[in-house]
Amino acid sequence: MSVGFIGAGQLAHALVRGFTAAGVIATQRITASSPDTDLPTVMGLRKLGVNLTTSNKETVSKSDVLFLAVKPHIIPFVLDEIGPDIEDRHLIVSCAAGVTISSIEKKLQQYRPSPKVMRCMTNTPVVVREGATVYATGTHAEVEDGKLLEQLMASVGYCTEVEEDLIDAVTGLSGSGPAYAFTAVDALADGGVKMGLPRRLAVRLGAQALMGAARMLLDSEQHPGQLKDNVCSPGGATIHALHVMESGGFRSLLINAVEASCIRTRELQFLADQEKISPAAIKKTTLDKVLQQPGVAAAGVGVRSGGISLFSSNSPRTKKN
Amino acid sequence: MSQIKTDPEMESQLKIGFIGAGNMAYGIAKGILSGDVLPANMKVSAPSSRNLGRFQELGIAVTHSNPELVCSSDVVFVAVKPHLVPLVLNEVSQHITQRHIIVSVAAGVTLATLEDLLPFNSAVLRLMPNLPCLVQEGALLFSRGSHAKPEDGALLRSLLHRCGLVEEGPEAWIDIHTGLSGSGVAFVYLFAEALAEGAVKMGMPSALAHSIASQTVLGAGRLLRDSGKHPSQLRSEVCTPGGTTIYGLHTLEQGGVRAATMSAVESATERARELGQKSAGVGCKK
Repeated sequence: MSVGFIGAGQLAHALVRGFTAAGVIATQRITASSPDTDLPTVMGLRKLGVNLTTSNKETVSKSDVLFLAVKPHIIPFVLDEIGPDIEDRHLIVSCAAGVTISSIEKKLQQYRPSPKVMRCMTNTPVVVREGATVYATGTHAEVEDGKLLEQLMASVGYCTEVEEDLIDAVTGLSGSGPAYAFTAVDALADGGVKMGLPRRLAVRLGAQALMGAARMLLDSEQHPGQLKDNVCSPGGATIHALHVMESGGFRSLLINAVEASCIRTRELQFLADQEKISPAAIKKTTLDKVLQQPGVAAAGVGVRSGGISLFSSNSPRTKKN
Repeated sequence: MSQIKTDPEMESQLKIGFIGAGNMAYGIAKGILSGDVLPANMKVSAPSSRNLGRFQELGIAVTHSNPELVCSSDVVFVAVKPHLVPLVLNEVSQHITQRHIIVSVAAGVTLATLEDLLPFNSAVLRLMPNLPCLVQEGALLFSRGSHAKPEDGALLRSLLHRCGLVEEGPEAWIDIHTGLSGSGVAFVYLFAEALAEGAVKMGMPSALAHSIASQTVLGAGRLLRDSGKHPSQLRSEVCTPGGTTIYGLHTLEQGGVRAATMSAVESATERARELGQKSAGVGCKK
């Protein structure tokens, strides 16, 4: 089985590092494509032994499982470009936040009757094999396809199938989650430094405390509220600190954060579903490089004067010969 | 929990007396009566007849003489207002003997103060009940004085067990208990009132809203006590994903209800401590 990545940024890099660490696939069987060869992640992937190319079509031809690891607004370009090259064997896995399975299927069905599409939401800790991944299965993907994806993603952390309508909430929680945790550890370390600890030690201890607590919770049958109680001796330091946190609205802040991330994801999806997006939203360099690819016509990627149509079925087809 | 056994027969022979005929005395008396103690073995004293009627209805003898009450009782509950305690104890101190067990229910009056007002070696216990003792759903915490033996504590626990939850602890916990459960009852009433007002705002008639609010509090309380589950567990169980409860809870969290509640218990406890120190200064020595 070969795996391909359209896009060679943070996500592709993290997944490849995780897969290699897990030994679930050999790097020679991985291909990644990106128009921009200067990215640090591109160099990182090259070092890992991944086949790198600037041609998305090449990645498609060399892969069975194809991860779409580009930003959400790039997806339609990519789909128009590779649509003609998709074969029956291909399993398309989109990792783009807010991009629906039906929008991808609609695009690909211009070229193929039953494209196998799946949608997943993962997060960066896949790089250390502690990722949190959910996936939803598209109309034409089989149970075995789900199992295959699950096997891959379970090698780099927790993975489970969900209904697609939950994916935005997952984005808000575990997609963005590591950022919340990094912020928390940074601030905890600040607290430690304020009280006299050297920075490096403070960061180390802060991260370890969070990691240890998470491990305890995952291994325990108990409610986190109960585990919290177990740490709070009467009149002790911890309960005083917790009161301070409650006074600051700690809990509601976290609820708000997850909600904001989820809502923004839905907004992005809504923007994508609208038929128009301004060309200014696309990095000129990226667009230029895509247009420079052999076999890619401007009309084929739906570029029209005065605006770029995303999921319009009116764009002229480029049939594969 | 103490494993000291009490003798129900002995208990039924005990004479129980109440100095003071207020709500606390009444609630405790009712609770004791649901046990093995007969009304004939109980007596209450108060300066006026105003509050004595309801005791008489229970078959309890009444008097206006504190010394008479003490002489005819083995266990004496001192259930007068805190500022009256020194007066009352001075009055009856000479009638206190080794057989007596004195239980003070007065808020803020410390064991040290009580022991100072009573003969040396008196068995004194300090009890902090709360209002729902009136309906036998109280939360009661007691603490033993220097000369009260574990058996005295076990006896008190046994007498009171029908009043609600009875626990023993060091005296330092009594102020906390006051903040948590003595005042806590009022915090719950505030919450219940606010629940009802929210419903009225959304269009429900007030009487119905209040009645449902009180049943909600009661039902939730029963479930919490009887399920043995952590409140956070029960809370999670009520919250269906994306449902009404989680939306409401989010609003509560944004309102900082948890922190405010913690602070409320803290304020009430600190005030109890303050009052305790004040009354220690006021209590006059023999």
